[in-house]
Amino acid sequence: MSLIGPLLLATFLFCVGVYGLIARRNAVLVLISVELMLVSVNINLVAFQNLLFPGAEAVHGQMFALFIIAVAAAEAGVGLAIIFNLFRNRATVNVDDVDLMRW
Amino acid sequence: MESLLELAWVVTLLPLLSAAAIAAFGKQLPGKGSELGIAALAITWLLSIGIAWQTFSAGTPEPFERAFEWSPLGGGFIFELGMLVDGLTAMMFLLVTTVSLMVHIYSREYMKGEPRFTYFYAMLSLFTFSMLLLVIANNTLLAVVGWELVGLCSFLLIGFYWEDKSNQDAANKAFLTTKFGDVGLIVGVIVLSAGMFGTGTSTPFNIQETNAAAMAGELSTGTIVLGMLLIFLGCVSKSGQMPLHVWLPDAMAGPTPVSALIHAATMVTAGIFLLARLFPVLAQSATVMAVIAIVGVITLFFGGLLALVQDDLKKVLAYSTVSQLGYMIAAIGVGGYTASIFHLFTHGFFKALLFLGAGSLIHAVHSNNMSDMGGMRKPMPHTFWTFIIGSLALAGFPLTAGFFSKDEILIAGDLWAGQGFMTGNLVYWVGLAAAFVTTFYMARACFLVFAGENRSHHAPHESGPQMVAPLMLLAVLSIASGYLLSPFSSQEFNFENWTATPFVEDATYPFIDAEASGGGVLAAGGQSIMAAADGEFTILHGVPTWHFDLLAIVLVVFAAAVFLAYRFYGKGLPERDPTLNMGAATTVLVNKYGFDAFGYRYIVVPVRDTLAKWATWSSNVVIDGMVAGAGRATKNAAFATYRVLDQRVIDGGVNGAAFSAAWWSDRLKRIQSGDVQRYAGALVAGTIVLVLAIAAVR
Repeated sequence: MSLIGPLLLATFLFCVGVYGLIARRNAVLVLISVELMLVSVNINLVAFQNLLFPGAEAVHGQMFALFIIAVAAAEAGVGLAIIFNLFRNRATVNVDDVDLMRW
Repeated sequence: MESLLELAWVVTLLPLLSAAAIAAFGKQLPGKGSELGIAALAITWLLSIGIAWQTFSAGTPEPFERAFEWSPLGGGFIFELGMLVDGLTAMMFLLVTTVSLMVHIYSREYMKGEPRFTYFYAMLSLFTFSMLLLVIANNTLLAVVGWELVGLCSFLLIGFYWEDKSNQDAANKAFLTTKFGDVGLIVGVIVLSAGMFGTGTSTPFNIQETNAAAMAGELSTGTIVLGMLLIFLGCVSKSGQMPLHVWLPDAMAGPTPVSALIHAATMVTAGIFLLARLFPVLAQSATVMAVIAIVGVITLFFGGLLALVQDDLKKVLAYSTVSQLGYMIAAIGVGGYTASIFHLFTHGFFKALLFLGAGSLIHAVHSNNMSDMGGMRKPMPHTFWTFIIGSLALAGFPLTAGFFSKDEILIAGDLWAGQGFMTGNLVYWVGLAAAFVTTFYMARACFLVFAGENRSHHAPHESGPQMVAPLMLLAVLSIASGYLLSPFSSQEFNFENWTATPFVEDATYPFIDAEASGGGVLAAGGQSIMAAADGEFTILHGVPTWHFDLLAIVLVVFAAAVFLAYRFYGKGLPERDPTLNMGAATTVLVNKYGFDAFGYRYIVVPVRDTLAKWATWSSNVVIDGMVAGAGRATKNAAFATYRVLDQRVIDGGVNGAAFSAAWWSDRLKRIQSGDVQRYAGALVAGTIVLVLAIAAVR
């Protein structure tokens, strides 16, 4: 089985995530970009499981992917809560406007 | 009963304590501190009586010595801080504390309402301490300390009324004149101690050791003559001997109780005391004794003559003090140790009495001058009879204290003359002549003060009990103290036995050739030293016997002098005071033989106008220049250091570090933009760099 397809997809998704993280102004889209990066990692984990241990009883790759999905959900929850609070207080979700912690 | 002598130091230190206490909180007390002084003096007085009792009851006492030793220099050289209690010390304790106590009580009334009353009492106590320190000292160095303290207190009390320039001058004169002699004293003490150090002792200042070494012939003649003559110079100035007596009459500027305490009864006797202490040393040299005797004889006669022309009652008494001190010094010079200190003892009482009596009179008429008194017998009966007793004692009227003690001196001179010493004859005959002078001027004073009409502008009245009681006690002592050494006193318990220390007992006169003089008799007052044919001296203790020939002469002299004085002054102040109309003699006496003028012309003026200017110049220009130059150089060096090292290097470093930190932080802080996406970008970039770096290293 060739890995080139999933790996290319994962790389593409990761790069899109990194770009979105750095370049997007909307905080929700930044959060979505982070999710994209996590998803690309999940694709890598599942692909390598099937390459290294095909048909094995123990599915460590998939297990890690499940953990990451759970953590990503929690992270999205916390992140959205922050964004809600931000919007309530400042009436904006533009990350460029959120620079209270500057010098 | 060793215990009481162990406490002798308390007698000395208690007055110091009371002086400090009076100075510290005397002003808050109801009696303004006087009660503290009187209480302390009363305790020391009782203790002195106890010590005297214990010392004297032992016959000729062994000296009792205790000392702390201090050896800061090493090399077997020890300074001592100690006490020496023998008959002489006990006698001086009695005299000083008695007179001081009387003066303390008397001053309560006399000084009432004066400014600085508390200060006055503090000084009185301090003075008493100083004198007792001199008396108790077991070494000459400590004695010098007491001696100088006495001089200081004298200065402070003479200048007590310092608002008047003349009183300041008198205080300065007293201080500088005595200081001149003190230089001699200190050098003399050093000469003696250097000689002592040569004998290998570790305590060269110890008085007993010095006496013992001198009698054993361990000290060279040069040491003894030079040392004792220099010490005698100190005694000359302190005890008012000619020609350094000039300060004593001026010292009458102080309050009268001070004159009684310091300038009559106790302080001026310091010189005689010191000579008595070192008597065994000075007895080694005929030269020293001759010098002492001649100075004493000159003083006792010429000092007495000066009293004839005085109008100030206190000055009459001051010159009589000079004269009586001359008697004591002369007695020392003719071997009359006992005679001298016996006269010191009795004179202390009756001169204190006379001064306190004079104070009582001055208090009543507000003037020192006898021409302002007169007719005081009726209004002041107690002062009158006590003053008369004091005058009789001073004039040596038979059966008073002065009679017994002064006759001892004359007899000592006679016995010394019997050994072929001319000075003995001088003391005997000049002493007799001066007795006539003494009687005359005291009779003159008594007639001028008590007889005739009241010439004062006040209505005099008797002083209060606090002034009269001391007068009465001193009057009793002025008679009674003479019987301690008289034909009436006990063979075993008499003044001569008490005060003869073992050193004086063994004192010898090596310059007398016993064999040549054929076993003659030498006098130490009532004590006679018999030189046997083999050259050994033995001591014959005993009380004096009647010398009826001398008694007859004394009576005739007394009667003649009183009669003469009565002729002139019996009816009060004459129009022409005979003593002031003796032509050239009066001129000489009024000008005090020119001592003051001479001293002013040839000592004060050159010192003030020339030496002082040079000293000022050398001080202002040379020494100040050196000091100022050193100061300026230091200042410049410090300024240069400040500008270069401190400002540039150190401050530059510190400030530079601070500035560079500020500059850098100002730039670096901009990284902290607060923009999350920049952080994320930096994170990604960092990761890429890290991954590439690891890959390159692989």
